[in-house]
Amino acid sequence: MIEFNKVSKKYDGAQFYALKDIDIKIEKGEFVFVVGASGAGKSTFLKLMMREEVASSGNIVVEGVDLNTIKNKDIPQFRRSLGIVFQDFRLIPNMTVYDNVAFAMRVIGTPEKKIRRRVPYVLSLVGLNEKSKSYPRELSGGEQQRVALARALVNNAEIIIADEPTGNVDPQMSYEIVEMLMRLNEAGTTVIMVTHQHSLVRCFDKRVITIKKGEVISDTPAKVGESATAHINAASEITNEYVVPPDEDYSAYVSRSDAPADDADDSQDEGGEN
Amino acid sequence: MGKLNYLTKEGFRNLKVNKLMSVASITVLFSCLMLIGIAFMLLVNIEAFISGVEGENIIMAYVDDAATDIEIKKVGLDLEKIPNVQSVEKINKEEAYRDILSDMDENLKVYLEGLEENPLPDAYRITVRNMSSFDTVVEQVKSVTNIFRVRENSSLAKQLSDLRDSVTTISIVIIVMLLLVSLFIISNTIKVTMFSRRLEISIMKSVGATNSFIRWPFMVEGIVIGVIAGILATGAVWLVSEFALSSLTSSLSIVGASVEVNFIDYALWLALAFVGIGVFTGVFGSATSMRKYLKERKFVELEEE
Repeated sequence: MIEFNKVSKKYDGAQFYALKDIDIKIEKGEFVFVVGASGAGKSTFLKLMMREEVASSGNIVVEGVDLNTIKNKDIPQFRRSLGIVFQDFRLIPNMTVYDNVAFAMRVIGTPEKKIRRRVPYVLSLVGLNEKSKSYPRELSGGEQQRVALARALVNNAEIIIADEPTGNVDPQMSYEIVEMLMRLNEAGTTVIMVTHQHSLVRCFDKRVITIKKGEVISDTPAKVGESATAHINAASEITNEYVVPPDEDYSAYVSRSDAPADDADDSQDEGGEN
Repeated sequence: MGKLNYLTKEGFRNLKVNKLMSVASITVLFSCLMLIGIAFMLLVNIEAFISGVEGENIIMAYVDDAATDIEIKKVGLDLEKIPNVQSVEKINKEEAYRDILSDMDENLKVYLEGLEENPLPDAYRITVRNMSSFDTVVEQVKSVTNIFRVRENSSLAKQLSDLRDSVTTISIVIIVMLLLVSLFIISNTIKVTMFSRRLEISIMKSVGATNSFIRWPFMVEGIVIGVIAGILATGAVWLVSEFALSSLTSSLSIVGASVEVNFIDYALWLALAFVGIGVFTGVFGSATSMRKYLKERKFVELEEE
C-alpha cells in the first residue's frame, strides 16, 4: 500500500512547489495510471515514492515503510520491494538479455543457482525466452522495454513503478506493454504507470490520477463493468480532449471494435479536468 | 563468500568489458609511476656517485719520520679523540710501498727499486663524519704533535656536499610534483570511467544494491589497474636504468669514477612502492569519485535535464 498524506515538495532554490498537498492512497494490488504533461510533477511523485527525493512536508508510507524516517542504510532494502521501469529502458548495451535481467539479481547478492532458475522464468513471462542471448541493440524498442520489465520483475517486486514505459515504443507495442503490466497486476502486483498518453490510458478501465501544476486535479476510479469505450466516448463528449491522435490509434489493438474515431489535437492532454 | 567471489569477478569483468578505459588508466598510471621511478633512480645514483667521490675526500695525515713507534701510536689515539672523526686507519709505510709498487708500471718500477730505503712516511687515513665540519677537523689534525703534513681538499668536499644537498632537494620536489600530477590524472581517469559507467550505477541503485556492493567491483578494478601499472613501471624503470647505467659507466670510467648502484638492490622496494601507490590511487580514486554518484540520489535522471 502507498499512502501520501498532505505531501508537498519544493526543490531547493525553486520558486514553486513541484507537488502540493498530495493526498493519495493506492491499495495493494491496484493498477493506477498517473497522467500529466511534462513538468506537471509526475516525476517528483515517482521520486518521492522511490525515496529518491524527500518530501518537504507531509508523510509518505510505502509498503509499511515511512519514507520520512527511513535510515539511509535501509533505503537499498526498501528499493528491492520496487520494480522500476524507465522510459529509456536502461539496458546495459554490452550485456545479453539474460545478463541484463540477471544483473538486477546479482547486484543484490542473489546466489547464481537461484538466478539460473529465475531469469528464464521471468523472460518467459515477457515472451523473450528465445532472445535471452541477444544484445539490446538487436532488439526492437518494444522488446527492450520487455527486457526492462523482466528486470523490474525478477526480484519479486511488490510494486512496479513504470515511468513513461511506452514513451519510446510504437503504438502496438505500447498497448502490449500495458497489457503485460495488467497481467502482472492480476497476479497481485501493484502497478503505477506514469504516462502523458491519455489515448493509451483510455483503452484500459483503470484508475487514473491526473496531475497538473503539482496538484492532483482528478482521480477517476477504475470503471468496473463499464465499457472502456463508453467511458472514452463520454469523456471526449464532455471535454473533447480524451482523443486518440491519428498516429497513436491504440483502439486498433483493443479487442473491442467500437473504439472512438474522433481525431483531434492531443497536445493539451494535461487539461483533463473532469 | 559467493558474494565476494561474484564482486571480484565483476571487477575483472568490468576491466575486460571496458577494455579501452582500462588500457587508458593503466597507461596513464604506468607513465606517471615510470617517471617517478626514473627520477628516484636518478636521485639514488647521483647520491651514490657523490658519496663515492666524497669518500675519496679523506684527510691524509703523514707522521714525522723521526717519530718512534710509541709516538706514532699516540698520534693515532690523538686523532681518534677529535670530534666528528668517523674512522682513523693506520697505513704502514711498508704496506703503502707495496701497494704503490704493485700498481706501478713495470718501466717506472725500475727507478724505485734502486732506492735502498722506503721513501714513504707512516700515515693515517681519517674520514670525517660530517662534511660541514671538515675544516675544523683539518685544523685539529694539523695541531696533533708529530704530524708533519696533512693532505686534504676542503673546497672540493664543500662543493660536493652543497651539490648533494641541492640534488636531493630538487629530486624530492620533482618526485612529489610527479606524484601529485599522477594522483590528479588518475582521479580524472577514474571519474571518466565512472561517468561511462553511470548507467550501470543507476540501475544498481534502482534495484536496491547497497553502496558497498556498488563500490566493490570498482575497487577491485582500481586495485588491478594499480598492480598491473606498478609491475609494468618497475620493469620499465629497470630497463631504463640498466641502459642508462651501462652507458653512464663507460663515460664515467674515463673520469675514473664508477657507479655502484644496482637497480636490483632497489627493485623489490620500488615494485612494492609502485604497487602500493597504484592500489592507493586506484582505491581512493574510485572511492572519491564514486561518492558523487552514490550520494546524489539521482538515479532517475541520467542525462542533465
